[in-house]
Amino acid sequence: MKDILTIIFRLTLSCILAATVMGTTFVLTNKAKKHNEHVKEERVAFSLLGFEGEAPESVAMNTVYRYVVSRAGEQFIGYLMPGENDGYVFLQLDLDGNLVTSDEVNLTDEKVRQQADREGGIMNAIGPGNAIRFAEQFQVISNSDERAAYLITGKFPGYKTNIAVMMALNTDFSIIGFEVLEHEEDPGLGGEIEKPYFKNQFKDKPFEVMRDIDVIKEPIPNEYLEALERDLPPEQIEEIMEKYRGNDIYALTGATISAVAVADGLKGMIKKFAYRVSLLDSVTEKNESVSVIF
Amino acid sequence: MANDKSNFQLVANGILAENPIFKLALSMCPAVGISTTVMNGVMLGIAVLFVQVFSSVTISLFKDFIHPRIRIPTYTLTIATWVTVIDLTLAATMPEAYAKMGIFVKIIVAFAIITMRLEMFACKEPVSSSFWDGLGMGLGFLVGMVVIGAVREILGSGALLGYDILGFKPLLFFILPSAGFFVVGLMMAFFNYIEIVYKKSREQR
Repeated sequence: MKDILTIIFRLTLSCILAATVMGTTFVLTNKAKKHNEHVKEERVAFSLLGFEGEAPESVAMNTVYRYVVSRAGEQFIGYLMPGENDGYVFLQLDLDGNLVTSDEVNLTDEKVRQQADREGGIMNAIGPGNAIRFAEQFQVISNSDERAAYLITGKFPGYKTNIAVMMALNTDFSIIGFEVLEHEEDPGLGGEIEKPYFKNQFKDKPFEVMRDIDVIKEPIPNEYLEALERDLPPEQIEEIMEKYRGNDIYALTGATISAVAVADGLKGMIKKFAYRVSLLDSVTEKNESVSVIF
Repeated sequence: MANDKSNFQLVANGILAENPIFKLALSMCPAVGISTTVMNGVMLGIAVLFVQVFSSVTISLFKDFIHPRIRIPTYTLTIATWVTVIDLTLAATMPEAYAKMGIFVKIIVAFAIITMRLEMFACKEPVSSSFWDGLGMGLGFLVGMVVIGAVREILGSGALLGYDILGFKPLLFFILPSAGFFVVGLMMAFFNYIEIVYKKSREQR
């Protein structure tokens, strides 16, 4: 009996000790880690869009936040987007895609980035009796007031854990490029999803092809592989890429599950995103009273 | 149990006589899965080296307080703590290195070699010997991973350290996990053969 008590005591003590060490490290490093992640995301975004270091002056990046609003047993989709006048506008759409209400939200550009401030602002604007839940955010990139591209992030299950990606899309929803932000696939096998020869397969794929993209278990033809790894002169690369543009994705050797996960994940992200943007487009066109930058 | 080996012998022991991969045949699963290139081997090797040294020293420091019946949970807890600490510190201070090494650090918790060294060595020996033993084991693992990685990278993708040297890919099979076992097996046979030859030549003298 005494033995058991000592065991319990010591095991508890070592657990507390370990938790203290890990907790302290977490507290000390968390800020720097978050900062590094933010810097990395920004760099990835710029490189996907083809800017070097900084965005040109004519380019504006507006963030749109999507929320799920529940009110009296019904659900609505809410979009927080910058308004044409200063401040932000919160649009609420019902599940059929019709505009329900649009409210002015009084927020500054700094405050909108903080989740707590942002949600407080929305709640103030739409009044009590509503519950909101954050769903996702995406960025609309415009060049000289013309919509130029979208930047979306997403997560989907890979072979082991979730794979987080950032993807840049043209206004016709063809892929400009994508980057893996975070994954825990096996190095050398599923980890190859980070390699150019896999990522470049998705480059410039049109929406019609991505909509029902599949993965085929065949070795990549040599000329295509060379083009994907950018080993050839640019004109030749363009020619070969054009030839394979309508094709499916070639799987990774020994990691078909990871390759399928990425292809399906991107397919799902693009399909949903295209649907949402077309809804938003029709809403802003039909209702002249809605004055948002989109 | 007193330890009569010098620090140098402890390190050499980990690399040669008790090499974790070729002699003890421990931690085969991750070793075989990941050692497809030299660079992967180096990354995993460095990560293991650090966790092994830190864990060995910690256990050696606290060896008198660890109840013998709960030593394995305590070891696992120690390893997990160090893995977390190294993972977080790396992410905060060296983002570039973390981008490459992050996935390697996270899989170390389940490595048999580290637990086994704590059980066999660190829980009986003084702190300094445990440090050198941990260093030797870590280096032994690193060497083993690099050798296997080199063989598999040359035979599987015709390259070394990412540089194309053969110009073609001899056998894609060597990249797949199952090939790791063949390479490790052949390596073991090779090392044992050298050992036998060496012993015979000594006997004859």
